[in-house]
Amino acid sequence: MSNFFDTLSVLILFSSFILMANKMTKSYIKTFRIQSMLLALAVGSMAIKSIIEEGRFDVLVVCLLIIILKVIYIPNLLNKAYAKAEYKVEKDFILNIPILVLVCCGLVVFCYFCLSTIDGINDGVINVQVVNSISVILIGLFFMISRKKAIGQIIGFLVIENGIFITAMFSTQGMPFIVDMGIFIDMLTAVMILGIMVFKINEEFDSIDIDKLNNLKG
Amino acid sequence: MEVGLATNLFKAAILFYLLGAAVALILINRHKLCNIISNAIYSVASALLIVSSIIKIISGSGQINISLFESPIPFITMNIRIDNLSAIFLLALSLLVLCVSLYSMGYISHYYGKRNVGIFNFLYSTFILSMIFVFTSANVVFFYIAWELMSMLSYFLVIFESEHEGNQRAGIIYIIMTYVGTAFLLIGFMLIYSYTNSFDIFGSSAAIPEFAKNIIFIMFLIGFATKAGAIPFHVWLPQAHPAAPSNVSALMSGIMIKTAIYGFVRFVLCYLGIQNTWWGVLILCIGIVSAVLGVAYALMEHNIKRLLAYSSVENIGIILIGLGVCFIAFAQENLLLGEMALVAALFHTFNHTLFKGGLFLGAGAIQYSTHTKDMEKLGGLIKTMPITALFILCFSLAVSAIVPFNGFVSEWLTYQSLFANIVSGQAGLNILSILAVAALGFAGAMAAACFVKLFGISFLGLPRSDHSLNAKEVPITMKIGMGMLATLCFAIGLFPLLILKLIDKVVFSLMGSSILEQLHGGCGIAYYSLNLSSGSISPAVMLIAIAGVILLALLGIRIIGGKYIERKYGTWDCGFEALNSRMQYTATGFSKPIKIVFKILFRPSRETVVTGDLAYHPESIEYITADESIIEKYIYNPVCERIKYFSRRMTFGVQTGSIHSYLTYIFVTVLLLMLYNMIA
Amino acid sequence: MKILLYIVIQLFVIMMVAPLLNGIIKKIKALSQKRKGAPIFQMYFDLYKLCKKSSVVSDVSSWVFKVTPYIVFATAIAAALLVPVSTMIAPEQLPGDIIMFVSILALGRFFMMIAALDTASTFGGMGSSREALISSLTEPSILVSLFTVGLISKSTSLLQIMNVMKDKGVPLVHPVYIMIFFALLTIIIAETSRIPVDDPSTHLELTMVHEAMILEYSGRHLALMEYGAAIKQLTFITLLVNILIPHDQLIALTGISAVMLSLTIYLIKVIGVCIIIAIAEVSTVKLKLFSIPNLAALSFILSVLGFLQYFVLGGRYV
Repeated sequence: MSNFFDTLSVLILFSSFILMANKMTKSYIKTFRIQSMLLALAVGSMAIKSIIEEGRFDVLVVCLLIIILKVIYIPNLLNKAYAKAEYKVEKDFILNIPILVLVCCGLVVFCYFCLSTIDGINDGVINVQVVNSISVILIGLFFMISRKKAIGQIIGFLVIENGIFITAMFSTQGMPFIVDMGIFIDMLTAVMILGIMVFKINEEFDSIDIDKLNNLKG
Repeated sequence: MEVGLATNLFKAAILFYLLGAAVALILINRHKLCNIISNAIYSVASALLIVSSIIKIISGSGQINISLFESPIPFITMNIRIDNLSAIFLLALSLLVLCVSLYSMGYISHYYGKRNVGIFNFLYSTFILSMIFVFTSANVVFFYIAWELMSMLSYFLVIFESEHEGNQRAGIIYIIMTYVGTAFLLIGFMLIYSYTNSFDIFGSSAAIPEFAKNIIFIMFLIGFATKAGAIPFHVWLPQAHPAAPSNVSALMSGIMIKTAIYGFVRFVLCYLGIQNTWWGVLILCIGIVSAVLGVAYALMEHNIKRLLAYSSVENIGIILIGLGVCFIAFAQENLLLGEMALVAALFHTFNHTLFKGGLFLGAGAIQYSTHTKDMEKLGGLIKTMPITALFILCFSLAVSAIVPFNGFVSEWLTYQSLFANIVSGQAGLNILSILAVAALGFAGAMAAACFVKLFGISFLGLPRSDHSLNAKEVPITMKIGMGMLATLCFAIGLFPLLILKLIDKVVFSLMGSSILEQLHGGCGIAYYSLNLSSGSISPAVMLIAIAGVILLALLGIRIIGGKYIERKYGTWDCGFEALNSRMQYTATGFSKPIKIVFKILFRPSRETVVTGDLAYHPESIEYITADESIIEKYIYNPVCERIKYFSRRMTFGVQTGSIHSYLTYIFVTVLLLMLYNMIA
Repeated sequence: MKILLYIVIQLFVIMMVAPLLNGIIKKIKALSQKRKGAPIFQMYFDLYKLCKKSSVVSDVSSWVFKVTPYIVFATAIAAALLVPVSTMIAPEQLPGDIIMFVSILALGRFFMMIAALDTASTFGGMGSSREALISSLTEPSILVSLFTVGLISKSTSLLQIMNVMKDKGVPLVHPVYIMIFFALLTIIIAETSRIPVDDPSTHLELTMVHEAMILEYSGRHLALMEYGAAIKQLTFITLLVNILIPHDQLIALTGISAVMLSLTIYLIKVIGVCIIIAIAEVSTVKLKLFSIPNLAALSFILSVLGFLQYFVLGGRYV
């Protein structure tokens, strides 16, 4: 079973690499959706496990929420924002894509070394999953740094959130229900606010390039 | 008895080299005679040295001791001691010198009447002698003297064609870098002496505390890496090698930069002993960087000899990868792996001597008959120089680590030692080793691209200028020189155990156990295969397979398709019917995609200048493209600027020109020294 | 004796199956475009016909041009001999390992690249220059992914790797192998000049890589080049399926029938991978040349991630 979770964590990690290598805004959303599906799969199987072993149903609820929010609702919201925005393809990055991807690989290695010093993490099954999921958080952050358009920023934020969620999931095998809910509501609010921001930026500057926000300085 | 024979042969070889130097000076005005006689003497001397070093290695792990000059003062005692490590380097040296000397008989002929051939041959032979002494000296002072002599003489050879301004500049960069490196070596040697009170290279380093060993290692690392041309200490190499006459560049690239590898093995591995893992890690990192960047910059060059010089940087990187793994393994007391990696490094050193020497000779042959080193002016040489073309093709395959040539076998050993390092290694080293594997793979593919470019652009297609149109095949002696090297590359590639057995004896005498038990073979044709616990190869069997398939294919097609009918026709030109040599792909064009993809390394810039009024009918279009090395841009240039600025300040502040202030400096220094003496 | 038998069976299977794959891929592509398409055995007819035709040779070219087809063909076969189609027929030891495998193919590629420059044609130069780029981008990931499976089996010999993999059950559900699987799949696409890296069916100079290099060839030379490319493609697919989807452990039979069964399952697996490749080809567009590094970086990352997972797991499963 842990074999299966290992595989899922690697696939989630790899989906964030694919995200990094993309430059079409539309593919960002697509990749995010796939990542969320993988997340839902992981949480879903965890839910089944907890139902069988402990009779808890809260993980199942979380799984359904993920499917509703992250697989269906948020990508659709973003697609709407995308349809209004004028820029369909990301043109300028801070570095070129192969190098960005290699830097991400470096992040994974870095993560491994940092985490291998924590006591107790090397024994047991957690190690590979935790390393992979914390790398997802870092890659999400790095994604936000490397992209200039607002949609990229939102996606990066969501990937960070996915990473945090999967880390928590893998290390605790299901958090208290209320914590999950809190995270979801936070995220939903953030995405909606950012969505509104995208419309606003687009309206004001005819572009969603956040570098243009510099113009707001007096 | 055998050792006695080896000793006598060695002495005879030295005498012959000296005789050659004398003959060169005596016949200084008879260019042709001087050249042929002295090169014949060098060939004989090298042949003697080959025999001597092989006998030495086969006879066991004893040492040859010769005292050139004994004096009561330990500083100026000149002792020669040849152990197996020296002997394998001597073998590589003498093999190369034999071929290069034969080659020089023809090659130097274009200097007749134009330049002082006598002086050239004198410098050439003393240069070889100085390298022999570097490999064989038994005490540090003698080693240092030989090292300095080697640098100095090679400097004179680099600026031999000094009327070109570029060559003088190359010489200056070379001499500065060499002396910076040597200065670090000197600090290392002085530190050793201050702890052990001995100049004996074969002595014990037990008296040196560990902290000091680390410092000495850093000094040696910088000193030897500068000589080896490892990145980031490589700036002199692509300047100096192209400037020198080709036979000298063959020696410099083939064997002179290997003195640094000898230094690493002799001083760090044997003398200091490996203390810390980070020594090996550092060397491995330098190796990885050199291998990747070296070949990447090689690909951008269209001057044949600069391309080859950068390729030397790459190969030094591969050798250093092997050496790094060896150091890591010894630090972790994994003796078997260490020995295997050492064998890989020494074997690649040996192989690189052969094929890079050969490539530089080939570049010399091209220059001899076309008077240009620029690939953009060559093309179609395979028609006019078929034999040279064949040899260069062999060397190119060898340097790209392609079966069945020798470069492949040593790279295979390097891969295997990295593999074993990952299997047995600890966290972190694994990741470094897999990076090294990726780097080796990348360097191999890029090297193939690089030599496809060298061979394809200069030898194939249509001649791009009159230089290559009027080329003639080179004299027979030059062909013999290159041909011997090519045969060696092929033979060692097919039967690697020929040389590996010798290298194994070297490792045996250094480390006390034989790696050959790991390299045993089966029977019959597979006898010359290489077996390790993790894998085995047999280049000979693969070659037989390839040959068999080719025969079968010929036969099969003959049966199916009947007789071969061929029609000669022009190259497909899309109906344009005026295909000419200027429409071929150029060397710059060939490497352009790679330049664009790896622009982070090359910082390419381009500029288009259009003259004439009309946009659609310009009079001329000029397209300039340039790239610069990031290392020179971000490391050397700022440092040079600082030094310049500092020296300008010094001119006003310290170097006032007034005799009084100079006297004051001396006065104050003397006083301070006396004070120091009183306190200490 | 066993070696001889191995060579005969291996050669027979490889040479018979290789052209079939191209036919299958082309058929699937045609079906997806609502065309009928050429019969799947078309390549055999093509090869036969090409062998009978006379060759046109450029008057600029030298012996390199004529030698190259034979070397390309022979290296492809030699590389194929290192990758047994079934572990049942393989002898105890093969004369090469993964590094030899890569180097043998490099020999063929080297000659193909210089032959392209031999005719003084711009197309040839272009193809060879692009091939240089693509090969240097894929080489690290081939080596890293093969090294990773090699590390798991503690051997660099392909036969040994396959034998060890047999004992791992169904390795594809494991994170290490799944990464390596996709890395190798990407490499196959790049090495065998398929969409999205190269377009095998075009003669448009903007997109050609492999086709540009063999543009000047005709007659039996072209046949050898095409056949060599097909064999190389099959060799890579064999590498992929026999290492990562081993099947010989499932066969309980012995003797001839076991070998036959093993080869049949092998064929099914190969055709399965072909279908994947065809689907990838149908559903993507060709990347522009300077986007290939992105793909190569991803494939390198896949292989390094595979290695890292192995390393992080510390050989827990493997």
